[in-house]
Amino acid sequence: MSKSKVTKQGDREIRVERVFDAPRERVWSAMTESKLIAQWWGRGHKLVVESNDVKPGGKWRFVEHAPEGVFGFEGRFREVKAPERLVLTFGWDGMPGHEIVNTMALEDLGNGRTRLVAMMVFESRKDRDGMLESGMETGMEESYAALDRLLAA
Amino acid sequence: MVQYGSRLDDAFGALSDPTRRGILERLGRGDASVTELADRFGMTLTGMKKHVAILEEAGLVTTEKIGRVRQCRLGPRRLDDEAMWITQYRRMLEARLDRLGEFLARTKGRER
Repeated sequence: MSKSKVTKQGDREIRVERVFDAPRERVWSAMTESKLIAQWWGRGHKLVVESNDVKPGGKWRFVEHAPEGVFGFEGRFREVKAPERLVLTFGWDGMPGHEIVNTMALEDLGNGRTRLVAMMVFESRKDRDGMLESGMETGMEESYAALDRLLAA
Repeated sequence: MVQYGSRLDDAFGALSDPTRRGILERLGRGDASVTELADRFGMTLTGMKKHVAILEEAGLVTTEKIGRVRQCRLGPRRLDDEAMWITQYRRMLEARLDRLGEFLARTKGRER
């Protein structure tokens, strides 16, 4: 098993890469099926999968029972594209109002091997609200639509 | 249950308890004595001292004895220190990926 490669990209981003000796479909199943998640996600601790609605907008909540305490994690799925891409928000009960956006991309390396690239971007609620307020996404789409019209003219 | 020695950082352990999160929230509004905190959270002095000690060990709270009163205030490690949280999450993610790797190796060739 290769050790993961960690690159810090700025203060708010972290990228972890790892190659698994397993075909992409198996890695995807292990990451998305509740029964399988329960067997590894808890890092050796008991894990209760309270919800795991794997679809865009679907909610997930996992509770880890460690000797130091009970740790609840939850978020929502943003993108689900089996078996190659999963984007979800990740929050911890102990840190309300702060979220990580976790993007996981699975690349088929052939010979039954898979590379996982996990990207975590730290978001505070303030940032997120600010971004929504600025209407960045809509603004961009509108600009592109305008550009399309211009090019078609 | 078998433990694999994946101990979390002190701060994570300290913050896993709702009372301790409440204490930090309270101290964020101003310093308080251990007795005041115990009253506020409806706990015994001994129980509150334990919580404060855990928070102190994690650097989230500092205490100072003034006369017969132990005064508490927020410590040098701040909850809003993003660098700290990034480190925590990274460690957590790596530990999970270790487990995922082990799981995949363990279940190899066993199709569901």
